[in-house]
Formats: sequence, structure tokens, C-alpha cells
Amino acid sequence: MSSNITKAPPPLRSRRVESWVYTILNPLIESLRRETGLLRKGNLSWRWYSRKCEYLRPIVEYVDDFHQPNLEDFLADNLNQGFKEDFESHDRALDKVESNASRFFDGLMQSGIFPEQVKSSLKEYESRGDAMLQYPSLDSMKQDLPKYVAEYLINRTDVLPHHYVAHQFWKEFRREFERSEDDFDGYQQRASFRALKESAASLEDLSGKLLRKLEEHRLFLCGTYDVPAAPTDSNMSSSSDAFLK
Amino acid sequence: MPSLSEKSGHGRLLILDTGVIRELVLFHAVQEFGFERLRRELRFIKEREFYEKCGRFVALFQRKTTSASVVAELYHWIRQTDPTGQKKIWNRVYEEFRATGMDEEVVRLVDMDINLVAEFGPVDVSLIELARLHFADTPLVLTTDKPLHGKCKQAGLGVSHIQEIAGLVH
Repeated sequence: MSSNITKAPPPLRSRRVESWVYTILNPLIESLRRETGLLRKGNLSWRWYSRKCEYLRPIVEYVDDFHQPNLEDFLADNLNQGFKEDFESHDRALDKVESNASRFFDGLMQSGIFPEQVKSSLKEYESRGDAMLQYPSLDSMKQDLPKYVAEYLINRTDVLPHHYVAHQFWKEFRREFERSEDDFDGYQQRASFRALKESAASLEDLSGKLLRKLEEHRLFLCGTYDVPAAPTDSNMSSSSDAFLK
Repeated sequence: MPSLSEKSGHGRLLILDTGVIRELVLFHAVQEFGFERLRRELRFIKEREFYEKCGRFVALFQRKTTSASVVAELYHWIRQTDPTGQKKIWNRVYEEFRATGMDEEVVRLVDMDINLVAEFGPVDVSLIELARLHFADTPLVLTTDKPLHGKCKQAGLGVSHIQEIAGLVH
């Protein structure tokens, strides 16, 4: 795609600029605010069954399918120079986080020690919980429990909701698994854990910088082209959240 | 009819209706993942304290189940949302079912009382039928729906409206 299509700057109150603000910048700013919030908490929202971060997504996925042509137009215009590279850097960093999370996860699963520790914790949990509602049966997730525990470690899960069957298990045994959190040396996963931590920190840094740049760019476009930062008439979609209108 | 103490946790089976699942899924998406815009969709669970009470209440039951009709009703809700976000909501629903160990049972239309279906619709009646089917397990239907609540009471089935949880769990 050519990056030098537009020579003349858009006119005041340009519909094109409006569409960039409403369909590209607003959803990206909202999504990256959420993304940086999750990263600050250490929650990668990584899932063992998809091997993806559920709520940290490539930039293109933060933009509504219907508005993808606006994204292409935004990236092609000189006025928005540099964002294509920034978006690519973000997506590369996310890809690294996902692959490092998978590597750490696979390392734990293959270590032998880790699944054994989960098994022994489960045994202890079951012995504590005989016929007590406080210790609900983990039968429904028994087979995958090591995978869930690894996922909780990757996402730095603090507390699970009370109605999740693993709530009490995680409450009582979390510390056992986090004991060597600094290096996970006990599971021979020092290197893979460090790589995961570093890639998550790098993504957090990049996301934060990109967020600030997008916020500044929105301010620049709105001020320069006299467009409001959010739609003020019913003609424009006010949706800026890909989760729900 | 189950006593208050039974309602408060000695029952073995909890039957959840669409509204309750929807509220739990939405609140978690707001609180845990920062989807603030969804907060306005919440009708009952608006504060973390109440979410935790609901969670503790649900946790008191050894088994949780719902009907396939409820899943269809969840689909009706989800398909009214922005198409781009529908998979994210389904992800949350799947997560909720997996993490709570939720069972799902089919109640065939022809096995439901036609008069009840005409009055309450097949989703509510499927939950009433589940409660009847599992009567030996002292089931409790947890709902956000007043007509369903009234019908269950009338039929002598254990039922709680989500708002009653505030008074049942401390």
C-alpha cells in the first residue's frame, strides 16, 4: 500500500478526519487503556486452550471489521505518519509475549516436577475437604488442573471468584506454586520465566507509549481540523468498544 | 419447600437462569478486564461486594446446572450486541461455564407442560422441569425473573431471586 496518497491536507471539519477519530483513534485509545491496565496488574489474560492473550490483541483486532477501510486510509495518509511502524512494533511485542507464555507453559508441563506438585497439592486439598462444601470437588477440571495452575501463574492471578470451583484450591495453594516465582528455578524454568517477564514489560512500555501518542494525535487532529473527540450527532456510530455497543 | 438454611447452602444443586449467568459474566468483564462500558448493562450486580456475595452463595452448592434453553437465550442476548465483540462475550460465557463446572441439560419441548410454556415460555419452564427432575437433590432455582420466581414458589420448588442473596449471605 502506498503511504503517500494524500498531498493536500484535509479541510476543516473533514469527514475523513472525523472517521479516523471515531472509528480508529477512539477504539484504539480505549483498548490500549484497558491493555495497559491489565499489563500493570500483570494479567496477560493468557489462556492455555487458545495459547493467546484473550484481551491483549493485535491492533487490527481493536478496530471494528466494518471500519477496516478507515484504518487502511488512516495508515496511508502522511498526516498519520509513523503509526504503521508503531502498530507493527506493538503486534511483534504481543506475539513475543504469547510465544514466551507458551514456552514457559510447555516448560512447566514437561518439567515433571510441576505436574507432580499440582497432583500432590490436589491430594492434600482433597484430604482437607472431605465432605465439606468449603472444598468443592475439582473433578470437572482435575485432568487439566496443572494447565490451569500454570495459566494462573502466567496471569499472576491473585484471587479467583468465589463461585469458581478452583477458588479455594488457589486460595490455599497459590503460595506453594509462587514460592519460587522470582526464577522458577525449581521447575528449570528460570530462563523462560525471565523471557516472559521481560517481554511483558516491553509490551507494557510500548503500549503505554503508543497510547500517549494516539491521545496526543487525537488532540492534534481535533484541534487542527475542528472536529469533536466524540460524535455529537446521531449520524455517526458512537461505538468505540468492540465488546458491546 | 426448602428452609432458609437449605437455601443458604445445604442444597446440593443450584439451577441458574439466563439473567444470573449474564450478570456474573458482565460484572467479571467489567471488574477484571476493564470493560467499563458494560457497567451500564448490569441490572442487579453493580458492586464488587454484591458480586462476592453472589459468588459465595453459588459456591455453597455442590453442583450447578442450567438448561440448553438458557444457552439459547444467552445467544439471543449476545447476537443483539456488536458483532465484532460477540466472540469476546462467548469467551466469557465459556470461561464462566468451565470455571464454575456448570452442567447443561436438555429438556425437550414435548416433555414440558404446554399450558406453562404458553404462559411462561420454554426457557422458564425448562428450569422448572429441571427442578422437578432433580427434586431429590433439593435443588434451588436462582433467577432474576419475578414471574419464574413466583411460579417456582407456587409449585413448591426451591427458588431465590438474586436480590434475596444480600440477605442470605454475609
